Amino acid sequence: MSATNPVAAGKPSGSIYDLGYRHYEGKRRGRLFAAWSLYVDSLRGIWGFGRPMSAKAAPFIIAGLYSFFAVIQLAFSSVISQSIKNGTATDIFTYGNYFSRLGFFLILFCVAQAPEVVCRDQRYQVLPLYFTRAMRRVDYALARLASLSTALFVALMVPMVALFVGDVLMGADAFAAMGTELPRALPAIPANLLTALSMASISLALSSYSPRRAYSAIGLLAYFLLMEAVPAIIYSVGQQAGWTWADKLVLTTPITSLGGATNWFFGIPLTSEFPSTLGADAYLVACVASVCLFTAVLLFRYRRISA
Amino acid sequence: MALIETASLTKDYGAVKALDRLDLQVESGIIGLVGANGAGKSTLIKILLGLIPPTAGRASVLGLDVVEQAPEIRKFVGYMPEHDCLPPDVSATEFVTHMARISGLPRSAARERTAEVLRHVGLYEERYRQIGGYSTGMKQRVKLAQALAHDPKLLLLDEPTNGLDPTGRDEMLDLIKRTGTDFGISVVVASHLLGEIEQVCTFLLAIDAGHLLKAAPISTFTQRTPVVAVEVEEGADRLTAALISRGFKATQEEQCVLLALEDEALYDAVRDTVADLGLPLVRVQQERRRLEDIFREAPPVAGGVQ
Repeated sequence: MSATNPVAAGKPSGSIYDLGYRHYEGKRRGRLFAAWSLYVDSLRGIWGFGRPMSAKAAPFIIAGLYSFFAVIQLAFSSVISQSIKNGTATDIFTYGNYFSRLGFFLILFCVAQAPEVVCRDQRYQVLPLYFTRAMRRVDYALARLASLSTALFVALMVPMVALFVGDVLMGADAFAAMGTELPRALPAIPANLLTALSMASISLALSSYSPRRAYSAIGLLAYFLLMEAVPAIIYSVGQQAGWTWADKLVLTTPITSLGGATNWFFGIPLTSEFPSTLGADAYLVACVASVCLFTAVLLFRYRRISA
Repeated sequence: MALIETASLTKDYGAVKALDRLDLQVESGIIGLVGANGAGKSTLIKILLGLIPPTAGRASVLGLDVVEQAPEIRKFVGYMPEHDCLPPDVSATEFVTHMARISGLPRSAARERTAEVLRHVGLYEERYRQIGGYSTGMKQRVKLAQALAHDPKLLLLDEPTNGLDPTGRDEMLDLIKRTGTDFGISVVVASHLLGEIEQVCTFLLAIDAGHLLKAAPISTFTQRTPVVAVEVEEGADRLTAALISRGFKATQEEQCVLLALEDEALYDAVRDTVADLGLPLVRVQQERRRLEDIFREAPPVAGGVQ
């Protein structure tokens, strides 16, 4: 041990431009900036930017699969447009039904990426470093929630844009077509915002309870699948048994009720898959309540978690 | 303004009292916080950071109350935890830059500071590699770098030499010493190894079972006479008696004879006595004073224990 050992002192011998330690005199930003930094970093992490290639595989493949069908429809739009105009064919996918039909891919997206967002910091015990900085626990949880919501919103909006482009190009006059298409497409923004928030809050609230990524993922998948299947089964049994309350259970499903809420935004009638006793507004209320509930669960988790 | 001040600080974990009415007043410098495992070192550090609330009593850091002004304190405090705290799949540069930004530094400043502190802790080309592939020594450096990234006024280091080999340990201690002296940042180093603390600290706090045992400048500890241990395979009792009769202060501890090293003549006397008695000598060694010795000898300071 020697204080004069240059290697030990962290200076390579022969370095001629060691300025020594300099203090930082610049600006120190507060909570909001810290939360924003975490949000940006987290969003990059979800899509695998700044991480190895293998980290990009899952989000891009899953989001790609979700958008794939809209792109196919776009590719063939010129071929089928004539028959649509003639009324002999209709679009398979519309802004309103896209999520209801393909939402399963986004469950996979959540299962793959939500544990990435909240389990890493618990597993590698990074949380104390955050909580001893300019950030509060609430800021941490909300920044993480915002980042997954944004990532989901992006994944949800890509096929919407593809459908929009396809519909606009189908018309002879693109500008005129845009004028008629835009009002039809716009409800996709609030509808998908709610969808993104709802799925993100459920995913993070549940994932944050385990530091192990695998357990989180399995738990999350189990939740989504069981909560879809069990109320639907009870409802169909209840229809025959004459249980009048069974239809309300459908409101607890994560994906079906989001489909119902989406219909509310587009103002289209519910299909026969939904119980006829409930209106689209009931699903909207259920989804908003679910966002509030799971956000509260997430905040509660981070208030209590030991660091 | 005192760097750290506590008044009757108490922390209860159910049945266990981690801190028991602790009164402290510490000025700037490199402060060693010694205590056996479970003495309450980490608990004290976590309370000072506002990570856990005290059960009773008050504490302040840089004149700011740890409960009411925790966010303000955190702007000027760097913390290096005892445990691993680094994600394996990012590079040291990315991680430290991220942490500097979370501390409130704008992007360009964060990058600049990161390059600078990583150079200071002695990470060069390897800083672009993923942390998962680092050695323990390099990880400890990254942990220190992230604590320094926002240029804190006070660094709280919890067992910074944990898991390091002797060379790595000396390098880490040297870094800590430079941080305290050259960088002008106050440092609190928690450790259960008194030897380490002695090398770098200017002030020493010894706690045991949540009580303050001793708080004093390090010089008051080093003034005490060192001890030489003479180990023999047999006849330790005869050796002790012979050395006492020669006028040395000797005590027997199993196969060892402990002697107060008052002058160098002691070594000659030991050699001659062992040779005269024909005893099988195992070792003659100047003992590193162990933590327990301080704990055994040091009377509790006034006001430390109620």
